[in-house]
Parts: sequence; C-alpha cells; structure tokens
Amino acid sequence: MKLQTEVLIIGGGATGAGILRDLSLRGIPSLLIEKGDFLSGASGRNHGLLHSGGRYVVSDPEAARECIAENRILRKIAPHCIEETDGLFVSLPEDGLDFRDRFIQACEETPLPAHLLSRDEALSLEPGLNPDLLGAVKVPDGAIDPFELVLANAKDAEAHGAKFLLHTEITSLLVDGDKVKTVFAKGLLHGEEYLIEAAYIINATGAWADQLLKLAGLHIAMALSKGSMLIANQRLTHRVINRCRPPSDGDIIVPNHTVSILGTTSVRLEDAENFEVTPREVSLLIRETSKMLPAIEETRFIRAYAGIRPLFQSGEKGDDRAISRGFVLIDHEKRDGIMNLITITGGKLVTFRLMAEKASDLLCRKMGINVSCATHLNPLPGAEKPSGLKDRLKTLCKVETLCDCELVRREEVEEVWREGKLKNLQDILHRTRLAKGTCQGGFCVYRLLGVLNELGLTEGNPNKILKGFLEERWKGIRPVLWGASVREEELIESIYKGIFNLTPTHPSPLEVEG
Amino acid sequence: MHYDLIIIGMGLSGLMAAKTAAEAGRKVLIVGKGMGCLTLFSNTIDVLGIPLLAGPETTRLRDGLSQWIQDHPEHPYSKVGLKGIEEGLSLFTSLFHPPYSFQTIGDENCFLPTGAGTMRPTYLIPDTMVAGAFGKEKKGLIVGFKGFRDFYAGYVAGPLNWRGIALSLPETPGQEISATALSRWMEKEVFRKKIGQEIKKNLSGETCVGFPAILGMNDPIKVKRDLEEKIGVEVFEIPTLPPSIPGMRIYNRFKEWLIRKGVTFLLGHSVAKVSIKNKRCEGVYVFNPPVSNFYSADRFILATGRFIGGGLMADRERISEPIFNLPVSQPGSQEEWFGKSFFDEHPIHRMGILTDSSFRPIDETGEPILENVLLAGTILSGHHCLDEKSREGIEIATGYWAAKRVLEQRV
Repeated sequence: MKLQTEVLIIGGGATGAGILRDLSLRGIPSLLIEKGDFLSGASGRNHGLLHSGGRYVVSDPEAARECIAENRILRKIAPHCIEETDGLFVSLPEDGLDFRDRFIQACEETPLPAHLLSRDEALSLEPGLNPDLLGAVKVPDGAIDPFELVLANAKDAEAHGAKFLLHTEITSLLVDGDKVKTVFAKGLLHGEEYLIEAAYIINATGAWADQLLKLAGLHIAMALSKGSMLIANQRLTHRVINRCRPPSDGDIIVPNHTVSILGTTSVRLEDAENFEVTPREVSLLIRETSKMLPAIEETRFIRAYAGIRPLFQSGEKGDDRAISRGFVLIDHEKRDGIMNLITITGGKLVTFRLMAEKASDLLCRKMGINVSCATHLNPLPGAEKPSGLKDRLKTLCKVETLCDCELVRREEVEEVWREGKLKNLQDILHRTRLAKGTCQGGFCVYRLLGVLNELGLTEGNPNKILKGFLEERWKGIRPVLWGASVREEELIESIYKGIFNLTPTHPSPLEVEG
Repeated sequence: MHYDLIIIGMGLSGLMAAKTAAEAGRKVLIVGKGMGCLTLFSNTIDVLGIPLLAGPETTRLRDGLSQWIQDHPEHPYSKVGLKGIEEGLSLFTSLFHPPYSFQTIGDENCFLPTGAGTMRPTYLIPDTMVAGAFGKEKKGLIVGFKGFRDFYAGYVAGPLNWRGIALSLPETPGQEISATALSRWMEKEVFRKKIGQEIKKNLSGETCVGFPAILGMNDPIKVKRDLEEKIGVEVFEIPTLPPSIPGMRIYNRFKEWLIRKGVTFLLGHSVAKVSIKNKRCEGVYVFNPPVSNFYSADRFILATGRFIGGGLMADRERISEPIFNLPVSQPGSQEEWFGKSFFDEHPIHRMGILTDSSFRPIDETGEPILENVLLAGTILSGHHCLDEKSREGIEIATGYWAAKRVLEQRV
C-alpha cells in the first residue's frame, strides 16, 4: 500500500506521540509509525515520576529548569494523568548535610520551590521514614501515568487529523541524493507492506535511534543504560521519597495508583531487545530504598521490570547540537547533509512536550513556515473530567468487574476495544489497569480472553494468547518471587497448569487439534 | 483437653487422616486456619496424570502407579505403597454414597473438558462430570451465564468444535454472580425451570449440555437430573476458576461426617506455638483471640500444605516450615527456585519436608527429629504434584497412611 504524508514520525513513545500532537495543532499533516504499541520502549518502562527537577538541581541546573517548567505545564494540561503528591529529599546520617545545603542553594538559584523540613516535621508527614533521618526538603514532585499521558496525546492528535500505524516496522529508508526519498514498512501482525512518501522524517525511536539511522547509512554514538525497578503491591508513602545525595542506585520511591515503584539502577547494555532484571539489582534496590523506608524489607513485591535510557555519547561531532544534556535534537541536514531528516532522543518523560516542541520548531524552520507551538496551552482530552473515582465506586456493584485487584470493568475493556486500532492483548493491557495489581493478571487475563472470545477477537485460539501472556508475566514476576508472592504463584500455576492443563510440553490431544 | 491425635491442617490430607483415625474410634482434634486447597482446585481426584497414563495409549492406573513407585523411591507414593494408595482411595470413595459418588472410567485416567477448552486427565470423578468424559464422541452445547466472569462458554466450546451460549440471568441487584451464588440459585426449582426452558429452545441437535461446575452445593445430583428432565439431554459439569464448588462438596461431606463421629473440629484457628520435650510434641497452643488454648495429644499429624496453605514459607533466602520449624530441603538460592519459563518444572515445587518411611520428619543424618509427629499431604518432599497431576492422590494416600501409622502405634 502506498501512503503519502507531509511528515513521518517514527516511534510511538512519549516523544513521538508528543510530536504527532504538536504538529497536528500546528496544522501540519503527519503520520506516526510504531513497531509495537504506543509506549513500548522507555516511555512505558519508567518509574512514573513527575520530576520537580530536584533530582538534577545540583548536577544539571538546566535540566532542572526544564523539569520544573514542564512540571507546571503538565499539571495544567494533563491534571487527570497526575497525582499531586509532592516529594521529599531525605538526608540519612550516612549522607550528612553537605549535599542538602548545596541542594537548597541550587533550588534557590534555579529557582525551584523547596521547603526545608526538620526530622520531626518529615516524620509527621511520612511516619514510615527511617527515624534516624537528619531532615528533608519538600519539592513539587508528583506521580504521572505515562500510559494515560501518551495515549491522550495520540487521541488529541488524531482528533486534529493526525494518523498513526501501530505494530508496523520500518524496513528500509531509501536515500536518494540529499534526501530520504521513500520509506518501506511492514505490518508485524499481518504482514501488510507499505511504501511511504514523506517530505520530512522525524526519528523519535529513543533507544533504537541509531538502529533506525543505520537504514539510511548514518550513525550516531549512543549508549544504552538499563534502569531496573520494583513494584510494591501498595502505596508505601503519600509522597515521592528521594534520597538527598548525588544521583545513585536505589534512591527513589514513587507512589503511583495502587502501587509504589522503587528505582532505579543503571547498567550499560549492548542489546536493546534482550535484557532482564538481575537478582543483584533486586537486592540492591531493596537494600538501598529500605534505608529510607525500613518497611520495604518486609514488603510484598509484585513485579520487576527494566527500561532503557538512550544516552547520547558526547564528544562526537553532533554534540554541539544538543539542546541540553537532557535530550538531543539532531538536524541531519547540518550533520550529514540529509535535508529532510531529524533525530530526537534522550530526555525524560516529564520533558517530552518540550522535546516535541523543539523538534517541531526545527521542522517548521526547515519547512520555512512560521506557526507556533500550542501544546502547552490546550488541555489534553480527559483533562476536563474529574478523577471519576466516586462514579466508578458507585457503578462497581452493578457491573461485571474483570480485574478485582484494580477494579477494571468489562465495559471499560469493551470501550477501549471500540475506540479501536487494537491488535493484541498487550494493547488492551496498555490502555487499562487490568493485570497491574497484586495477582498481575492471574485471574483477569482468563476473563479478558473469555470476553474477547465472545466479541470474536481471539482469532480462534485464545490459549495461544493466554500462554504468551503467562510467559511475559513470568519475566516480571520471577525476580521477586518470595514471601506472599510465592503463595500467589502457586495459586496461579495451579489454575493454569492444573485446572486448565495448559502445558506446552505435553499438550492434551484436543488442545493440539484446537 | 487431651486427644489421641491432633491434626493440624484441614485440607484433603488432614481430613483423610481425621477420617481414618475417627473410624478406628480414636479421639481426634482437627484444627485449620482455612479450608485448604480443596475449595480452590480439587474438582476431581487426580492420582497420577503423567504422559504414560494420559497419552493416547491409556494404561490402567494401577499399572502406571506401580511402575512409578519403582522408578521414584523417594516419592510419597513409594512410602505408602500401591496397596496403601488403593486403601486410601477406597476409604475416600466410601464416604461418598450414591447418588453423589466418585467413580473411575474403566480404572484408567479419563479426560474432562476444562474452563479453557482443553482436556485434562484425572482419575476419580463425581457423577456430575461423567457425561463430560465421553463428550468427545458427542455433540455438546456449553452453557455459560452473562455476568459470570469465571466461565466463558464460547472459550470452552471453540477448541472442542462445540457450540457455546451465555444465558441472561434474572435481575440480581447488588449481588455478585459468583460460583457460590450460582450454585445456590441452581438449587431452586424456579431458577432451573427458567434456564431449562431457555436451553431447550437453544438446542440444535446437541446430545449433551455442559455447565460450569456450579450445579448446587448440597444435592447436585438432584439438580443434574432435574435439568436433564427439563432439557431432554445429559448434563455435566466443567471445572473452572476457583473457588471450586465440587471441592466444597467434598469438604462439607468430610466435615459433616467427622463432626457426627465426635471429632473436635476447629476451623479458622491457627496453631501459635507447640510444646516439645525430649523429641516429642506434648501439645499445641491454638490461637483463639484474645486467648491461646492448650491441647495435648499422644500424636500429631502436620498436614498444612505448601505455600498457599501456609505449611511452607519463603523469605528472600530460604524456605521454612513455620509451626515446628522442621528442616526443609532447599532448592538452592532464590534465583534457582523457579525456571526461566512459566511452564518449566520449577525446582521449588519438589522440595518439602524430608521424612522416614513412617512420614516422621528427619534431620540430615536420617534420624527422626520428632518421635510422635507425622507429616501428610503436599508438604512432603519428593513430589511435583502440579506437574505429575497427583495432588489429591498424594493428599488422600498420605493422610490415610500417616493416620494408619498412628493407629498401629508404629510411632
């Protein structure tokens, strides 16, 4: 199939979806292509922190200024994706107060609203904190739901005429002279082939930026850094808890929805596709975060996961084009003589809108048009709605709840499906809280497949999908299986291997026929 | 209070031990925190569902078991022996009089349809499931209920090339449509009449009708027969997500029998502490807030199950047994407990309490740690009940056998 567009955006993370929305509000037609679902990379695999900038205020004041500015904008345009929790930077005895003093001073200079708390004040706000703490600083951190945020961007973009194709991979970029002339892509689920003609191309593929550029014979030096996180099955604190020391492993706890996310580690990686959370990382995260919050030693964990931070290697020839150390924007016209190609990578979830704005500004300059950004002014779809918790609770007793842990209703799933363009189970899991609770989908995925089967959407073999889900789930659960989680696991195994007899090695006769 | 035997754990193994001892006239106390895995998974009685016994060339279970015993000397079945297993199973079936009785299909494993549209091998099945075991040769209609989220008729019917329908239920404001609620409604004539008519209208040449396993708690055979009369074809039950109504029937039958026989039945209480002297247990403190009561006995059977039952606990380093602090065979460090794939045979499931041939816990030299405490059920080491499909068989055989040891005063 032949597709034509003014701008082709490659990558459906926060950056790509942000650009899609930005261009749509400026009236520039664009098409986004993503090889998985939205948020399949780092955008869906982070700790969901709405940075105040505090984390960077000492080491990188410019990044901190970007964070606090974007933090304020997001509170306005996406209140429904944000929990305004505030955050504490906690000083433990082994940290001393030197860093705290530099931190306070840097906050004043940035400026970033920071409020000094005594030990007793900090403990009265967060009684679970280590009672030996020396003091704390309160900053406007928060929690953010990356899924809602990115999907709202895509929805708004679509409402303004933008298009996107998910589960579609770019297979080649044909360079002719000083331009990328044609792009070939392939649907990963049904094998459709696309020939795309675009006047401009924006590479927003995050950790895959260099891999994509290779298709055009280009190269940027990137390093991949794995950051691992653990999910505890409850909110352990009211506020985001940071360690008041230079950025290091295991220095943050983010309460998010019904869970808490403990992060992070930093491990260099070679391969962006195959990585897992190691036992060493699990121990490290628990050891470090429990210094701030001792109850973590006894807490039940429900999942471990990792994301990849794309780090742009400085010192190479493109370095001067970096807007800040936070993210990098490359005009391949200046760098490589390719007129119609832009790469944007790095950055943080909280600055995705700014990244999109800068990339779109560059594009407009290249196109020779002058339209300004509007993404910071217009609220995202859903922003007008209150949290809806009250209404949800009211309807819950009347409707079929598929997921007991996170109270996801059958209607919600059907609605998500009707909104469309969903190709597989993972797409639904990205768009609801289904399977994000304590049992991690142990019960509700069977129910989800039952519902999808009733809707005629399982293509004849729900158990193949079920087995795929169970294996995916296993990757996240296996590193944290001890304590109560082992009991849960025995239950889930007894259901799927026992009651349902799902065993790929010894399939029952009828299962093979099916 | 002093007893001949105190049994800790109210799953199938504890109940079997209590039945065995009570039948011999012993004074028995059984104490349990909950109703055990019976009410979660035990829809039928699995004895051994390994490929040899579940393949296309089926073998009599007896022959498969004796081969298994030869090949697996450390397996609980090998300690009980073939004769003991058969005695245990017949003691179990003797508790269930017709009409709701358990039977085998030709002394072989049979295949029953599951809630995921697969077939699974099992051994003893209640009469409410028998028609499903022959379902392959028939044309069946699977019936589910709108709003019942633990069973999807189309999901079950698809792979079997059958048809599935979901019936609408009468308005039930504020009530969750759960397996337990459905099983209560099924016991009402009016309800059966309504759905019977509906199903009859929907039949198109099918010769049997499969329901989720919710055909009543107290008199499922009456429910089944009445539905068959109303619909005009055979009816059967299909096990699905927990809770298990058939498991609850088993539990209720044991409970009724044991109480009638004078067994002291303490449900909802946990053992807080045990009193040990000279390698013998003298008694247990049962926590009954706000007090703890002390019960003494000559002998004790620990049948607390694995992780779900609370018989075993895992912290980040090791696996332990919380009541007697018995040594547990360790499957290496936490990262070695589970295989890389969900469907692997995970090493953690094979570990448990090591015992001598009388099911007394032993130390690393093979010496009994406690003279008058026996183990029964899945807490024992040396089996992989999930992958072997032997859960209920192990529970029945070892519960029976441990109580037999007590009766014979071998310990």
